[in-house]
Amino acid sequence: MTIHKGRGFACINYPIGMNLGGDPSQALVHSTPDGKFMVALSSIDLGQGMKSVTRQIASETLGVPVEDVYVDTADSDTGPHCMGSFASRGTHRVGNAVIRAAAEARKQMMEAAAEELEVNASDLDTDGAGNIHVKGAPGRSITVAETAIAAQFKQGRTLSGRGIFLVPPSEADPETGDMTPVTCFAHAALVIDLEVDDETGEVEVTEINSAYEVGRALNPKLVEQQLIGGAWMGVSHALYETTEPYYPRRDHGPEDFNTYLQPGPGQITPHHIAVLERPAEDAPFGGKGPGEMCANPVLPAVANAVYNAVGVRCDQLPITPEKVLKGIRANGGARPQGAR
Amino acid sequence: MAKTPVTFTLNDTEAALFVDPGASLVDVLRRGAGDLTPKQGCAQGTCGACTVLIDGVPHLSCLTLAETVQGRRVDTAGGLADGPALHPLQRAFIDGFAAQCGFCTSGMLMAAKALLDHNANPTRDEVIEAISGNLCRCTGYEPIVDAILSAAAQMRGQPALQQGAL
Amino acid sequence: MVAVETYQTVAEAAAGLGEGARYLGGGTIVMRQVNYGDQGFHRIVRAARPERGIGNDVQGLRIGAGTTMADILAHAELSFLHPVAGQIGGPAIRNMATVGGNLFAENPYGDMAAALLALDAQVIMAGGQTHPMERFLADRKHMRGLVEAVSLQRPQPGAFYYRKVSRVKPKGVAVITLAALIRGGEPRVVFGNMAAAPMRAHAAERALGGGVSEASIAAACAVCTEGLSPTDDALASAWYRAEVAPVHLRRMLESGGHS
Ligand SMILES: Cc1cc2nc3c(=O)[nH]c(=O)nc-3n(C[C@H](O)[C@H](O)[C@H](O)COP(=O)(O)OP(=O)(O)OC[C@H]3O[C@@H](n4cnc5c(N)ncnc54)[C@H](O)[C@@H]3O)c2cc1C
Ligand code: FES
Ligand code: FES
Repeated sequence: MTIHKGRGFACINYPIGMNLGGDPSQALVHSTPDGKFMVALSSIDLGQGMKSVTRQIASETLGVPVEDVYVDTADSDTGPHCMGSFASRGTHRVGNAVIRAAAEARKQMMEAAAEELEVNASDLDTDGAGNIHVKGAPGRSITVAETAIAAQFKQGRTLSGRGIFLVPPSEADPETGDMTPVTCFAHAALVIDLEVDDETGEVEVTEINSAYEVGRALNPKLVEQQLIGGAWMGVSHALYETTEPYYPRRDHGPEDFNTYLQPGPGQITPHHIAVLERPAEDAPFGGKGPGEMCANPVLPAVANAVYNAVGVRCDQLPITPEKVLKGIRANGGARPQGAR
Repeated sequence: MAKTPVTFTLNDTEAALFVDPGASLVDVLRRGAGDLTPKQGCAQGTCGACTVLIDGVPHLSCLTLAETVQGRRVDTAGGLADGPALHPLQRAFIDGFAAQCGFCTSGMLMAAKALLDHNANPTRDEVIEAISGNLCRCTGYEPIVDAILSAAAQMRGQPALQQGAL
Repeated sequence: MVAVETYQTVAEAAAGLGEGARYLGGGTIVMRQVNYGDQGFHRIVRAARPERGIGNDVQGLRIGAGTTMADILAHAELSFLHPVAGQIGGPAIRNMATVGGNLFAENPYGDMAAALLALDAQVIMAGGQTHPMERFLADRKHMRGLVEAVSLQRPQPGAFYYRKVSRVKPKGVAVITLAALIRGGEPRVVFGNMAAAPMRAHAAERALGGGVSEASIAAACAVCTEGLSPTDDALASAWYRAEVAPVHLRRMLESGGHS
């Protein structure tokens, strides 16, 4: 038996969002009478951090503490419209909509505070800690809570805002096919190290090294979490997961998680990540979002690493021990593709 | 068909319910007792999201015939916190970003609690073994393993471990 | 909807079986069938006090059918079975899954049954009849009644070999399972997931008859799939199983037995 080491590389340019006749998302922001702010979205958070990041964006734009902002994504029937949580579009599309909605709400908040302080709204600023003060005179101030109470009960004014961000439809030039379907790309490069057992075809990933360019990492811990979990999913897709193990035949599909395989906690792979921050111009505070591409480059990198290790080129996923072993047999033995 | 009366201790309170014959414990906990912390991910025993402790020992509540907990003690993630004070495991999961969608979290917490209840100083491999029946689709497991080790350290009175560095 | 009937002992439950009934052991397989509305039965029969635990009888060790995998792991005397029990499911499954249920568990399950077949265990029915594991497994679809216990002789230290080939670590179900008892003159070699139920590889046993050596291992591996009939499933194809069975048999025998 020989264990062959292999290394594979892949990189990706990931278009943020999609464009099939325009890609819009909406956000609504309003204050409660006691100066908390609600952000209403139909952009579902399924663990990717939509609520955290839109909360940060709203708080930054409003100039109020993040603790005073609540994001509600509960019901896409009653919330403002969103195309959905897919195509890595959440931070970019929804974040931009939230900026617009929060900016409008902030404008009203500043006008309400100006009326209370008897100054011009343009002379006011927020301190991010729940106060609004006259620029250069921090002593002349009013709290956001007092402002909201005054707006609601005295001035009869709402502190609210509407936001929409639309990437308009982009028709293809009939002559050249030229079009601009997306406004920004995220980028990544990823290296997989793995080992292949040439008697059983078993593959074990031993290390991942990656560099991700995601615009500004608005929440670095969330970005890291996405990249680590996403790479695990990429390995899972590359080597394990299938509903049709004998595709194009449909038989013997797995019926549970004992037979629909995914790597277990005993297969945690060291993953070293470099996050490069190059804020995108049209992105909310420069953040493009890691999204789907945290899994995507893993698959070709694994395929390349298997080839590098034993000379078997698998062009169908997942790369099961069976396919690797068949390939080794077809080649008359393992053919390592050179020293590294 | 006649229902069966079942009484048991659910997180320090007495639960008395009528259950359908053949009903699973997870169903009865969620719909009968209103404890939504055990999740039903598969109803096949293969995901671990429904993990609860019965008399201190981890069981899959989807595979447990509800009437068999008569007179026994059932602990769920719903009983971990002491009022507003989170259990060290819950704290460590939050601090260590050990949950994304959160669907696996209740089961992970109970599998981890079962471990720490009788092994205050587990090795990394023992933690991995303890959660080996619990699937997580989101995290890649590493933050969960780190969080459990961190909670264990904290419960022994040591400072929380540094979470997996970027 | 199903009805649940609880008896005290396995013998009483066996008497209560009758039409449309399914016995509930640890429930790790039966409760899934209940949850998914299996129409094959409408009565669950269970015993409040099945035989659970490890004792001694004339045969040697006696393990109650209601003994769980966790019970086995808690028993130092059964250390040779720890690699088997310890790789069945995660901790929660091991607290529930019984030895009795494992004898009936279909592919890809049945790791304990494979080990017990290699160990030449006897199956003791609730009525007292006994069957050798080999006959029991071949006929299990038609078995009437309930299993009370299994009995076996403790293997000599290092005589019992076990290997479970699984893709998910640390816990996953088996692509194939291997177990062997190497004792003077009559070795037993068993494969799980290489036929409808765990099965002995008689040709490999003959090759190992003179003891374990480099040459006898090679000879055993060359013939080990004779008489076996692996099939395709979600985990692997029949082709793959047959290809790697000799590899894993060699690795198991070379890595030494458990005591
Ligand atoms: C997540 C998961 C992982 C698993 N991993 C493994 C694994 O790695 N290896 C493995 O071998 N199995 C595995 N299993 C399958 C199963 O848990 C075990 O095979 C277990 O030993 C079955 O025992 P039980 O008591 O739970 O069976 P039950 O579900 O109670 O019963 C199973 C069958 O056996 C019959 N039966 C039970 N006891 C008796 C008796 N005393 N007399 C007559 N008939 C009886 C029942 O009527 C039923 O038909 C796994 C299951 C799950 C859900
Ligand atoms: S719901 Fe119980 S294990 Fe999945
Ligand atoms: S956090 Fe989503 S399944 Fe674990």
